[in-house]
Amino acid sequence: MNARQFLIRDLLVLFGLTGWALTLPAFASEFAVSMALTCLMYVALSSSWALFCGTTRYLSLATSAFFGIGAYTSAILLEHMSWVQVIGLGSLVAAGVAVVMGMAVLHLRGTYFAVLTFGMTELIRHAISYFEKSVTGTVGRVLMVVPDRDTVYFTVLALAVLAVALSIALRRTRFGLAMLGIGADEQRAQTLGVNTRRVKVAGFALTAAVAGAVGAAMSVRWTYIDPHTVFNPFIGFQTVLIALIGGAATLWGPLIAAIVFSVLAETLRLQVPQIYMMSLGLLLILSVLYLPGGLASLRTESFLGWRDGAKAWWVQTRDDLTGETRRRKLREKSLRERRDVF
Amino acid sequence: MSFSAWLELLASGLITGGIYALVALGLNLQYGLMRILNIAHGEFLMVGAYLTWMAQTTLGLNPLFMVPVSFGVLFVLGYVVHRLCFRRLTATSPNLDVFEARGLMVAFGLMFLVQNFASWMWGGDLRGYDFLTEPVHIPLPGGTAQFAGNKLMVFALALLFSGALIVLMRTTLLGKGVRALMQSPTGAQLMGINTRQLHPLMFGIGLGLSGVAGALLSMSYTISPSMGEPYTVTALIVITLGGFGSMGGALAGGLLLGVIEALGMHFTNPSLKALLSYVVFIAVLLLRPEGLFTRKSRKA
Repeated sequence: MNARQFLIRDLLVLFGLTGWALTLPAFASEFAVSMALTCLMYVALSSSWALFCGTTRYLSLATSAFFGIGAYTSAILLEHMSWVQVIGLGSLVAAGVAVVMGMAVLHLRGTYFAVLTFGMTELIRHAISYFEKSVTGTVGRVLMVVPDRDTVYFTVLALAVLAVALSIALRRTRFGLAMLGIGADEQRAQTLGVNTRRVKVAGFALTAAVAGAVGAAMSVRWTYIDPHTVFNPFIGFQTVLIALIGGAATLWGPLIAAIVFSVLAETLRLQVPQIYMMSLGLLLILSVLYLPGGLASLRTESFLGWRDGAKAWWVQTRDDLTGETRRRKLREKSLRERRDVF
Repeated sequence: MSFSAWLELLASGLITGGIYALVALGLNLQYGLMRILNIAHGEFLMVGAYLTWMAQTTLGLNPLFMVPVSFGVLFVLGYVVHRLCFRRLTATSPNLDVFEARGLMVAFGLMFLVQNFASWMWGGDLRGYDFLTEPVHIPLPGGTAQFAGNKLMVFALALLFSGALIVLMRTTLLGKGVRALMQSPTGAQLMGINTRQLHPLMFGIGLGLSGVAGALLSMSYTISPSMGEPYTVTALIVITLGGFGSMGGALAGGLLLGVIEALGMHFTNPSLKALLSYVVFIAVLLLRPEGLFTRKSRKA
């Protein structure tokens, strides 16, 4: 397939999925719709995360900060403005914070960047809870005017489609290629004339804008928000987990993983929440160790690779246990000695 | 404020700082030597605390006896974890950057695994027991200062273990090998230092230290499955303060952070404690990423 056929295929898949999701509220139960809503939220969050962090390989843990900022913007402004304005402003504020944050930290790479974004998220969370406690005198906010369920659902659906469409479109632009170049080798990209600083800040702001909009839309679902729910670091972690397990560099990986995870979460979390979290941790470790490209990179060859690896491991363990390794070493040594004598 | 009140404030800061230093030393050993930023470090501290609590309440054992036991248990656990996860990761990662990012993710997975295992096993309630709670009076020129006996002992033991680790690093051949590996992994390997043995060993010692810290913490504070995360973050702050890989720096940084927190909380507001440590953390990372105490600038 050439690039054009890939584009058509991706657009068709996106079109089909969107159509299916559009009709969902008409026939599905309340439970299924709420599950689909969570699923769409993570599709939007992890696709937009992968859009910047997957291509440039800057591991950002700040998603929950942008999500929370969007949620708070929406909680404050919802009574004074229309729904669309609130969503737009939520994403604008989050993008603004991302620009400031990006200016300060995007010159650091690797673990430093990950840890710093995490630290800044926690800083924002603590600052807002302190502000709420000491200035407004409350811990949380109650949302009085709430749009109905279908509005929220369709908004989040639109955001998810937007996030995926953005990733489809951006991979074919100069901007997307510049981000890929930064991920491959930042210095080389700079030498070849990419303004890496501007590209990175813009990409970071783009992720933040989507996360902020999702936060603004999702805050009405809870009707009561406080810093610990909307700035919950777990939202950020789960976004990263979904993107990584699905395959951060791929287009459909985050989407597949988001669906798998939402189903897993809703079925397991209600009965045994700890088991759900434990399996999440285990899945993460296994996928990093054995499938570093993510679920989307799963091919027949990976199964064959695992089989060969397991076989080699078994042969080695058997030889170690039966003393075969020791005997082989002795044999080789005596062979060497014989060679040296003659 | 009187002289003795000042001393009391400083000493309470130092006591918390001692624990911070102990946790940070373990993390520093893992990050400085192997570039594994073990986010799950605090969770293993929690496991140590729960082990001590269980031994104390069900078997009636003295918590002090559990200090070496939890070191041993967590040492073995760390050795196994390193064998199972990080060894394969080292073998398959193309370069150090990729290894660091993947190691961080594996550590996140471990964090979820261990934390939820604890809350599944022991429940989410706060637990605790009484041990040496009677106050100790120390006469001073401007009046007497008093401290809880268990906190003083925790401080002494934390300093003892930190000191022991630093002495181990400075004087023994093993420590020399570890320091050489920190300076130049390839050079050290060429001199015949076996990374396949040293890495799991040091990872185990790092986790063992966090187990000791957990055992000590359970003597004077209540414990819960979510207690680990704040200590991980504090340990991160401390090793940034002290410089990645520097043992003396971690000890000094831990004590310093404890004092900063105690002073800050006294003069402003207790609910600002977390905010304060994050401000210190971010400021240090942005302004002096190589640590407060390092003279020679290392490439970060």
